[in-house]
Amino acid sequence: MNSATAVDASRPALHRRPLSRSLRGSLKGGEYTWAVAFVVPYVAVFLAFVAYPVVYGLWMGSEASLYRELFADPIYQTTVVNTVLYLALGVNVKMFLALLLSGFFMRPGWWMRALLLIFVLPWAVPQISTFISIHWMLNGEWGFLNNVLYTLFHVEGPHWLNDRWTALGAVIVSHIWKWTPFWTLILLAGRMAIPLEIRDTARVDGATGLRGFVHITFPLLANLYLICTLLSTIFLLGDFNAVNFVSGGGPANQTHVLATLGIRDAFEIAHPRLGVAAVMSALPLVIPLVIVLMRKLRTSEVQI
Amino acid sequence: MSYLTRRSMLRGTLALAAARPIAAPYIARAAATTASVWFAQGFVQDEDVALRKAVADYEKASGNKIELSIIPFAPERQKIISALTSGVVPDLMDSNPNELLQIYAWQDRWVDVSDVVATQKAQFSETALQSTQAYNNVTKKRGTYGVPLRAAVVPCHIWRPLVEKAGFKIEDIPKTWDAYFDFFKKVQDNLRKQGERKVYGLGFQVTANGVDPYNLFTAFLIAHGGQDIVTRDGKLHLDDPKVKQAAIKATAYLGGAYRDGYVPPSAINWNDADDNNAFHAKLMVMDVDGTLSTEVAMKEKHPEWYFKDMVTHGIGYPTDNAGKPVPSVVGVTQGLIPKGAKNVTVAKEFLTYFIQPKVIGEFVELGLGRWLPVMPSLAKSPFWQDPKDPHLRGYVQQGLLGPTVPDYYVFNLAMAEVRTQHVWSLAMIDVAKEGVKPEVAVDKAFKRIEEIFAKYKTA
Repeated sequence: MNSATAVDASRPALHRRPLSRSLRGSLKGGEYTWAVAFVVPYVAVFLAFVAYPVVYGLWMGSEASLYRELFADPIYQTTVVNTVLYLALGVNVKMFLALLLSGFFMRPGWWMRALLLIFVLPWAVPQISTFISIHWMLNGEWGFLNNVLYTLFHVEGPHWLNDRWTALGAVIVSHIWKWTPFWTLILLAGRMAIPLEIRDTARVDGATGLRGFVHITFPLLANLYLICTLLSTIFLLGDFNAVNFVSGGGPANQTHVLATLGIRDAFEIAHPRLGVAAVMSALPLVIPLVIVLMRKLRTSEVQI
Repeated sequence: MSYLTRRSMLRGTLALAAARPIAAPYIARAAATTASVWFAQGFVQDEDVALRKAVADYEKASGNKIELSIIPFAPERQKIISALTSGVVPDLMDSNPNELLQIYAWQDRWVDVSDVVATQKAQFSETALQSTQAYNNVTKKRGTYGVPLRAAVVPCHIWRPLVEKAGFKIEDIPKTWDAYFDFFKKVQDNLRKQGERKVYGLGFQVTANGVDPYNLFTAFLIAHGGQDIVTRDGKLHLDDPKVKQAAIKATAYLGGAYRDGYVPPSAINWNDADDNNAFHAKLMVMDVDGTLSTEVAMKEKHPEWYFKDMVTHGIGYPTDNAGKPVPSVVGVTQGLIPKGAKNVTVAKEFLTYFIQPKVIGEFVELGLGRWLPVMPSLAKSPFWQDPKDPHLRGYVQQGLLGPTVPDYYVFNLAMAEVRTQHVWSLAMIDVAKEGVKPEVAVDKAFKRIEEIFAKYKTA
């Protein structure tokens, strides 16, 4: 007997089961047929609406010449910088504010619940109409904001949307205003899941206020916070509305992000493959994010 | 009570499969008389009503069925591009935007419609006929892929009360190009002296959004002698000194007017609707904007604005600085039949019906005159020549009876990308905001235009 045979012989019987038996598991006869019948629609829907669009997108953006054309676009580099800034500031400022506000909303009292109700309104209202309103509010000559500044302080406000940095700032602030309530609610739920015993014990041991937050609350929330941050980054990377309706990608195409550039290339220039390539150029960032996210979600430890 | 079993399921499936050959011919027969049509939603409801009436009349006359989808302007463009990308197309669509004809003709995606155009060839204007043409990069030939339906041109819109408040009359407006626009700077200066802090003389769209800035720049380019930037053979002439001088003058005037404070500062980030809104709010004295939508949108709500306060310079559109008429660029909406359409026969039949002068004339007129007809004979109708209407005669004169030219993308598709990449806008903004010299801004624009043209080499 050679060594390979010896290794095979030592393997458990389970590993030598044929594939069909592995798939069947403990199902017998008609049960297996029905199981397949019930699973087939879901598999078909998955293939048609998840797998096919992803593969089609990859195919559309697969030509190297598309990327040469994309990188030759004079606004591509600016767009990449904007995207990075939008992600870095938009996600982190929003999540940090959400973390602080979730602590604030843990306070007892009916008025706190009433305040929470008002606080979630920006998230609850339709986003396109609110972003269009913000666009008008920021109009340099006739907008609400500058009129208030002039009426109250006789100050001529800046033309917010005429400068790259104030326009991009307006987009980022609009995003934070819109989505902070949602992530606050998620983190609030996370805080509420921390057992009271842990907090009471910590309090007895003197871990109150900032010390309690640093040593008890944040470590217990850290996993949730990280997952929320990763998810928010992925959502934001595909966000089109805030940029399109607040700054319109202007002035002079200086506030585009990859999502709006992709739409511009696909539908304004009528070059859908170039539009897909613009979005695909974010894959080097997206893939590591998804891998980290999957690993975090697969963790077997009990974590809040 | 019967239960679902594997056998009963199999029996049912087999029965359905057996029934299909019997049912299928009926469906096919139904499809033979049905065509699906996509059309952009009108700016005013009357446009949609006019289209539905034309479709209903055709259905009654032919016995065929038109499945009409009226889709908002921006989503329709996305829907069309998605359809052409996926290959699942309607039988007929409008060219939204107009340059779609040339973009997809390049890829050999349209059915030749020269037979439909031929039915009314003698009726169409020369500009409309030229606009039906496009270069096919598969056959390496130009062909007729569009059927002209309606047109639009870019007039000047003026507030009479603001001109009069500044101490002038409409009749005081000079006739030659630079003097014409300089006049509105004087109007603004006088209004400022009267304490009008926020009213601007000129509504120039010095922005990199939408189609307005390209139309504005092209009007200035032609007025300053740059008409031959792209000739009818599709060749680019950036080395022509006349073209370069015209581009520099256009960039200098438009960017300079903004830099000198005669254009609303927010214009640098306007989209296509923002100038209309600002004009309706009487925040600028004049606007250069395509179609009569500025006036038509107010006809019902503010008839006194339409009939008294708003002035459209179609008649009165300025000449060049030497006194010669400036041809206006006309955009023509076309009917397009994509390759892969299931019912080309009905689509062509409907188009042939639709472009009969009586039918298409009524369609355009029921839309309140926002769009122009594409047949000069239709301009003589009582609707267009109504002496009580202050806008229509001038509009039809400028866009149909006067000197007109098609847009440059008709001759070379690359110009469509020059428009969508906002090459001219960036030159204007460089001068307006960054203090760049017009010559430098134009050199940069020319370099980009050459790069874009290099992608579209024709035989």
